Amino acid sequence: MRIMANLKAGSQNNRKKVQVSMVICDPEEKRHRSGVNALQIDPLLDRLYSAGRDSIIRVFEHERYFHGMEHHTDWVNDIVLCCSGRNLISASSDTTVKVWNAHKGFCMSTLRTHRDYVKALAYAKDREQVASAGLDKSIYLWDINTLTALTASNNTVTTSSLMGSKESIYSLAMNPSGSIIVSGSTEKALRFWDPRTCAKLFKLKGHSDNVKALVVNRDGTQCLSGSSDGTIKLWSLGGQRCLQTMRVHSDSVWALLATENFNYVISGGRDNKVIMTELKNPQNSRVICIEQAPILKLCFTADQQAVWVSTSDSNIRCWKLPTDKHFDENLPVSDKPISLIPGGAAIREAVVLNDKRHILTKDASEHVALYDVLQAKKVEDIGVANFQEEIKKRFKMIHIPNWFNVDLKTGMLTIHLGQDEVDCFSAWVSARDAGIKDTPEPDSKVNYGKLLLQALLEHWRMVQTEADTKNHFSVPKHTPLILSEIGGRTLYRVPVGEAGGETESALLNETVPGWVTAIVEDNCNGKFIKIQFYLQPHSSVPVHLLKQDRIKKPERLVANDFIQCKKVAEHILEKLLGDGNASSPGVDGDSSPPTSNGYGVDHIELSCNEQVRYFFSFIHIVEIPKRFMKTLELNHYKKYTSFENDTRILIS
Amino acid sequence: MGANISQLERDIGSEQFPSNEHYFGLVNFGNTCYSNSVLQALYFCKPFRDKVLEYKAKNKRTKETLLTCLADLFYSIATHKKKVGSIAPKKFIARLRKEKEEFDNYMQQDAHEFLNFLINHISEIILAERQQNSTANNVNKSKNMGENGTHVPPEPTWVHEIFQGILTSETRCLNCEKVSCIDEDFFDLQVDIEQNTSITHCLRCFSNTETLCSDNKFKCDNCSSYQEAQKSMRVKKLPMILALHLKRFKYMEQYNRHIKVSHRVVFPLELRLFNTSEDAVNPDRLYDLVAVVIHCGSGPNRGHYISIVKSHGFWLLFDDDQVDKIDASTIEDFYGLTSDTQKSSETGYILFYQSRESL
Repeated sequence: MRIMANLKAGSQNNRKKVQVSMVICDPEEKRHRSGVNALQIDPLLDRLYSAGRDSIIRVFEHERYFHGMEHHTDWVNDIVLCCSGRNLISASSDTTVKVWNAHKGFCMSTLRTHRDYVKALAYAKDREQVASAGLDKSIYLWDINTLTALTASNNTVTTSSLMGSKESIYSLAMNPSGSIIVSGSTEKALRFWDPRTCAKLFKLKGHSDNVKALVVNRDGTQCLSGSSDGTIKLWSLGGQRCLQTMRVHSDSVWALLATENFNYVISGGRDNKVIMTELKNPQNSRVICIEQAPILKLCFTADQQAVWVSTSDSNIRCWKLPTDKHFDENLPVSDKPISLIPGGAAIREAVVLNDKRHILTKDASEHVALYDVLQAKKVEDIGVANFQEEIKKRFKMIHIPNWFNVDLKTGMLTIHLGQDEVDCFSAWVSARDAGIKDTPEPDSKVNYGKLLLQALLEHWRMVQTEADTKNHFSVPKHTPLILSEIGGRTLYRVPVGEAGGETESALLNETVPGWVTAIVEDNCNGKFIKIQFYLQPHSSVPVHLLKQDRIKKPERLVANDFIQCKKVAEHILEKLLGDGNASSPGVDGDSSPPTSNGYGVDHIELSCNEQVRYFFSFIHIVEIPKRFMKTLELNHYKKYTSFENDTRILIS
Repeated sequence: MGANISQLERDIGSEQFPSNEHYFGLVNFGNTCYSNSVLQALYFCKPFRDKVLEYKAKNKRTKETLLTCLADLFYSIATHKKKVGSIAPKKFIARLRKEKEEFDNYMQQDAHEFLNFLINHISEIILAERQQNSTANNVNKSKNMGENGTHVPPEPTWVHEIFQGILTSETRCLNCEKVSCIDEDFFDLQVDIEQNTSITHCLRCFSNTETLCSDNKFKCDNCSSYQEAQKSMRVKKLPMILALHLKRFKYMEQYNRHIKVSHRVVFPLELRLFNTSEDAVNPDRLYDLVAVVIHCGSGPNRGHYISIVKSHGFWLLFDDDQVDKIDASTIEDFYGLTSDTQKSSETGYILFYQSRESL
């Protein structure tokens, strides 16, 4: 079947709701943060290409970091180096396939034909053809020369699709001449097609679980498969049968490599082992290494004397392979890697502190760090520490609604802002609490969602309405800004510093949701939600302290869903407490404490009806002068969906 | 009606008529057959009846609850002078309408919804009463438990002992292949049905591996991301009485309403479960069919509920206030229709299987 693949992000009309996200990362992430799913070598330039869960493709030249290729927004699951090393094709869980200029390291085009994670690629070197397959059960065949010729105006490409797979595809292989292609899936069977005619050939059954790794020999007569059932099978394609079943691993087989002549298979598994097995004589097998995590990918070095091994950990190691001589004479092989490309640590846990601005993280090496969402950067390295203790230490008596979510899929912090103006702009604080110093009114309200959006889109359209509304926060220019469909495909990714460029700007105009544009440009304050509530004296408050007419009938009050406790305290002093001697609720606190029959006035305590647990979602604490005293009970009757855990707030 | 009653006695035969057993129909108060059919089925689930009567004996002067009303109803049947007849469950229905708004009308109700509500509600009543007693009698003890800081799950009530089983759902992430298990209590199993199959087949499908994919991926903690996963539900603890709800009312989008599925699903008199987990406590339990709630008619909002029960080796059909002895072979009539051409059908809707060791 021939179909047209549209490279554009999707038409304006049937657009789903758009999610605004950003990634907090270093200007250059030189180390892999998490598992490395794919490896390729360029023998001419002595380069190693590696890509994985942190979404970045990295290039190491002579085993030293050379550069990173960032454009994907989710795991990169597979890469293929083609055109003698000039181009790289990558497949990602962001559902795209990307074409890169490998030498210069930029993304040339993005193929959005797949509708689910793209899990595997296969390459036919002689024909410069690449096939991609994934969880959408589809296989697409791409002509690389066509792909590299794509431009912004000529952006449609014809692809062949191989139909027939009934389940998600996890592995794919093609022979160099492109005469046969095979897919492995949760169907447990291998399916074969002829890529030249797109004809379905046959399927081979035998595995009892998902097939996660495949290799086809040069002439397309034999195939090796590695499965989650723990076996490796050698198949004869002419005879359409299994020639050999090898049980060398104690768990799932996830990676396979075969020597050019199909004499040996090198396999990596969930059991952390890399094993080399002689195909003619499977008893003859040797453990090459035992890694610290399940093996995800294997790749020969240029001389084929060693293998690069990547795992679900971020380190990439190179291990010497035994030679025929080692096998024949059973000689020992070194148990040390011959080289190592060290990885970094992925963030494994993240807790949003209750100021709803800072995030405490713990990474795979148990290091704890503090991040500031508004500045999109790490603000403190705490080192190895007790995570729970550190969270407790930073607890503040405050309640602010959630306005973003944290995602750790890439091992870095991805922040997804609230999906609409209600969610995104739910967090109001005073300028003082936000740490904004040069403001005329420290008590004026600021909104976290708005502050961050302004910072993220600062370089887009260069909107600066008035001098005094200049951004209070800025985020590092390299911070990736991501616009995507809710729970789905990425529409656009751009480092915030580049948002001002002509193309970038135009694409942003298309993708940024209207409510975001409105808040950033019009400088409006969003909508406040009015809430009704009551203030009642607590049962412990002596009656004579209160104005008599207020005791019987509590006054119904209306306020924004964000009010400061100080305002509440002022109201209490003015309206509810008797004898007028608390007339000046200023912060100076010079006047002597008013007394009433021996009651010292020290503080006001606000509490809420214990059943009404959501109450303080809109109370925010500021300092209250010490001389105000009373315990008052507040009741209000509006339910809040975004309450957290705070039921009682003390002000003292 | 009188003739009918004597007919039943005649059918059973005075020598065969079991001593200490009463067969009483329940009067319909206007679409209360959903309740009548379920109550009859429950009455003939012996362990349940015994516990309800025991509750009646132990709780003489408590305030009225749905449980006391049920106990009074069962008591008046069990202690009736006559062997057969009919009785009006007036107090029970009145209380039911008070307890649950949804039942407070004369509309046709879903028998399974009622069963579900009743079992849950009774266990809540027992738990609440137990807590009341423990706080009244033993303040210190409960306080000590709190200080220990450990959450002690409430001791199971007799309702739990009779109906509760445990399902375990095993989810395996297809990326990292880590398996996570979550246990879940159940009072009945809700089973999707297929045409011309058996309940054993449907139960097997119930436990078939489901792949969580596409928009319904699994959030894998190990991968910190959404991945495809395979999930299967298996029975880990088999209950004493296994209630199987056949999902015969299917929502059809094109009609914007629920349609009755009259598929023929054979339910054997003897049942063994095959969809048990490897660590199941009692996987070999053999079950006997003791009662079936039957839906007659064409749709969920139309039709009638009756029940058939097994008592002392023979089968009886309860149709509101009518009680008839039926031949065991008649049960086949309630399997369903082999083709979907007919509009109306009389089909097994809730099956009650009792484990043989408890009989």
